[in-house]
Amino acid sequence: MLPEKKGTTNKSVVAEPSIMRGKQETKTGKLTSLFYKDGTWAVIFLLPHLILFLAFMLIPVIASFVLSFTSWDMISQIEWVGFGNYIELFNDEVFIEVFWNTIYFTAVSVPVGIFISLILAVALNQKIRGIKFYRVAYFLPVISSMVAVAIIWQWIYNPEYGFLNFMLGIVGIDGPNWLSSQTWSMPAVILTSIWKGLGFNMLIFLAGLQGIPDSYYEAAELDGASTWAKFRFITVPLLAPTTFFITIMSVINSFQVFDTVYLMTGGGPGRSTSVLVHYLYQNGFEYFRMGYASAMAYVLFFLVLIITLIQFWRQKKNSLY
Amino acid sequence: MLKGEVFMKKLFTSFLSVIFLISIILAGCSNSSGTETANSDSGSGSKSEDVVTLSFMGWEASPLETESVKKGLEKFMKENPGIKVEYTPVPGEQYSSKLITMMAGNSAPDVFFVYADQYRDLVNRGTLLELTPKLDDEIALEDFIPSSQSIMDVDGKVYGISSTTVSPVLFYNKKIFDEAGIEYPSSNPTESWTWEEFVDVAEKLTIKEGKDIKQYGAYGLEILGSTTALLRNNGAAFLNEDGSVALNNAEAKEGLEAIRKLREDGITPAAQTLENSGMSAPQMLQTGKIGMMIEGSWALQQLATMGFPVGVAPLPKFGSEPSTHGSAHLHSASANTKHPEEAWKLIKFLSSEDYQNQLIKEGLWMPNRVDMYSEEGVKAWYDSEVHPEGFLEMNSFFKDAEAYPFVTIQKYVIQDIVSEEFEKYYNGDQNVDDTLSKIDTRVTEELARK
Repeated sequence: MLPEKKGTTNKSVVAEPSIMRGKQETKTGKLTSLFYKDGTWAVIFLLPHLILFLAFMLIPVIASFVLSFTSWDMISQIEWVGFGNYIELFNDEVFIEVFWNTIYFTAVSVPVGIFISLILAVALNQKIRGIKFYRVAYFLPVISSMVAVAIIWQWIYNPEYGFLNFMLGIVGIDGPNWLSSQTWSMPAVILTSIWKGLGFNMLIFLAGLQGIPDSYYEAAELDGASTWAKFRFITVPLLAPTTFFITIMSVINSFQVFDTVYLMTGGGPGRSTSVLVHYLYQNGFEYFRMGYASAMAYVLFFLVLIITLIQFWRQKKNSLY
Repeated sequence: MLKGEVFMKKLFTSFLSVIFLISIILAGCSNSSGTETANSDSGSGSKSEDVVTLSFMGWEASPLETESVKKGLEKFMKENPGIKVEYTPVPGEQYSSKLITMMAGNSAPDVFFVYADQYRDLVNRGTLLELTPKLDDEIALEDFIPSSQSIMDVDGKVYGISSTTVSPVLFYNKKIFDEAGIEYPSSNPTESWTWEEFVDVAEKLTIKEGKDIKQYGAYGLEILGSTTALLRNNGAAFLNEDGSVALNNAEAKEGLEAIRKLREDGITPAAQTLENSGMSAPQMLQTGKIGMMIEGSWALQQLATMGFPVGVAPLPKFGSEPSTHGSAHLHSASANTKHPEEAWKLIKFLSSEDYQNQLIKEGLWMPNRVDMYSEEGVKAWYDSEVHPEGFLEMNSFFKDAEAYPFVTIQKYVIQDIVSEEFEKYYNGDQNVDDTLSKIDTRVTEELARK
C-alpha cells in the first residue's frame, strides 16, 4: 500500500510539475494510472459482455418499462395510457385466472419439488453400488430438451394408450383424461415440471450434504441419536443455506414457467394451465398488445421481487449462522 | 456474498420475459439490413439494369407446399426477367409474430402471405398496400367465389388477393365402411346425410371391446373450424349484421349439444386423446382408429398418397341443405414497398389460375374463381388419381360456401376466447348455457375495446 502511494505521488509530480498539489491531485493521479495499468484491459475484456448486456438486457428492460405505460401494437403510433394497462390487468378476468394458476403452480411445485429432491439427495449420498449411475439417471431430465420431454409426457398422460393410466388400470383405478381435464391438467403439468427439475435441485443438495462433516454424525451416534434425529437436527439445519438458495431459484423459475405449459397443453383446456408468461406471450405476439404484455411482465417482476425479498428477510431473521 | 451475487443474477433473469419480447423485435430489425442491401444492389447495379429484387415471405405449411411455391416462383422469374424474387418460408407458428415485428422495424417484405383471420387487423393498421385501383380485366372481385370475395372486400376496398379456398368436409375410409357393410355417404350435396343419419353410421362404426374403444366412429367435430360450420348449418350465425356477437341462441345450443353427445356416447375421442398418441388425424383414418373424419379439404393432398381408399362427402346437415365455410390466406404487398408495380405482378401471378391449378391437382387447394368450376375449368385441375369418385358433385358445396366467420372479425383474440369456452364445454367442465353466455360477454367486451 505504502510504496504504491509513493509511486503515484511521484508520477503526478512528474506529470504536472508545479501548479497543483495536495490530496485532490493525488487521487486523480491514482485513478488515471489505475486505468492505464489494469482498467483498460478490464474494460476491453468486459466489452463484449457489456455490449450484449446493454443491447439485450438493460435497454430492453427499460424500454419495456416505458412501454408498459403505453398502448402499442408494434406498428401504429405509440399512445400513452398512463396506468391504464395496470388498471386493466386487475380487471381482466383472464389475467386473474392466469395469476392464480401461476400461484397454484408455484405453491405445489416448489415445496413438493424441494422435498422430493432432498429425499433423493440423502438417498444418493449413501455408499451404494453404482451410485454414479443413479445420480446420472436422476440428472438426465435436466439436460434433456423440453420438447422431447413434453412429447414423452403427453404420451404418458394419454388416457387410452398412455403409460400412467395403464399403471393405474392395473391397480383398478380408472385414470382421468389428464391433459384434457380442467381438474387434472394442472397437476399433470406440475408433475412433469417437478420431474424435469428434480435432478438440478438434487445435485445442489448433494453438494450441500457433502459439505457436512462426518464428525457431527459420529458425535450424534455416540450420544445415541436415531437416524431421524440426525436428519432433523444435523442435516436439515446445516443444509439451510442450500435450501434457501434452492427455494429462491425454484420460486423464480416456477413464476417464469412457460415452455412446459406451451408445449404440453398450450394453456388449455380452457385457461386451466395458462400461466403468467404464457398469457404475456399471447398478448405480445398473438394479440399485438405489446404495452399490455409489458405491464404484465412488470407485475411478474415485482411479484418475484417481493417474494424474494421476503425470503431474504426471513432467512436473516432465522439464520443460525 | 455468494448468495447476494446469485440473487442479483437471478433478479435479472426475472426480466427474462421482458427481454424475450424485445429480442424478437431486434431480430426483426436486423433483417432490414439484408433487404436494404438487396434493394441498393438492384438500384446501383449497372450490369443487371432494371432488375428489381422483391422479398417474399410465406409460411411453410408442408415441405410439399414450399416446393410448389418455389417451382412457381422460378416460372414467374422466367416470365419476368426484370424481377428477382427472394422467398423466405417461415414456420407457421412464428409467422404472424415475425411479420408484425418486421413491420414494426419498417422492414416488411415486399410481398407476403396474410392469414385470412388477421387480414382485417393488418388493413386497419395501415400496413397493406391498397390494391383496389390495380384490379382490372385480368383480376376482378366479381371473378371470385362469394367466400373469397367477402374475405378480400373491406368496405369496398381490396388489400390482398385470395390465394385459394379450403373448407371442412367429411372424409371416410371406404375399407372400414365395406367391412361394416355400410353404404358410402353420397358426395352429392342434395343427397347428403342428415345429422341423425350421420350419428347412426358413426355409432355403427364404433367398435368397443369391453371398456376399450378399438375404433371410433368419427373425429374432428370439436375442432373450431368444424364446430362453427355445423353450428352455422343449424342456423346459428356468429355475428349479427351490425357486427355484434350472436352466438347465444337456441340453434347454437342445439348444435353444441349434438356434438358433445358424440363424446359422451364414446363415438368420438377427445381431441387430445388421439393427437397425443403421436398420429395425425389422416393417419388415424388410415389405420382404422377412426371411421370418419371432419377436416379441412386440404387434408386430401396427404390422404391421396396414403394408399387406402378415401371417400369425401359434404358435412352432415341439420337443416334442408348441407353447408360449409371457406377460407384461405391472401397475398398482399407492404404499404411501404418500393416496387408496387412489380409486387402487384407477383401477387397477380400467385393468384393466377395456372398457379392455383398445380396445387388443386394435388388435392391441397380448391379453386377460388367461379369460372374454374365450369366444365372447361374443371378439366385443368381435376385428377382422378387424387380426387375420389364423385368429387366433382361437391363443387357447389365449395363454391357457394360462406366465409369462415372469424375472418370478418378484426381481433384474433376472439377466436381464442371462443375456442377456450367450447373446449371447456366439450370436456364437461362447463354447461352449455354458461358457455354461450360467457362467449357473449367476453366477446362483446373485447369488441368494445379499441
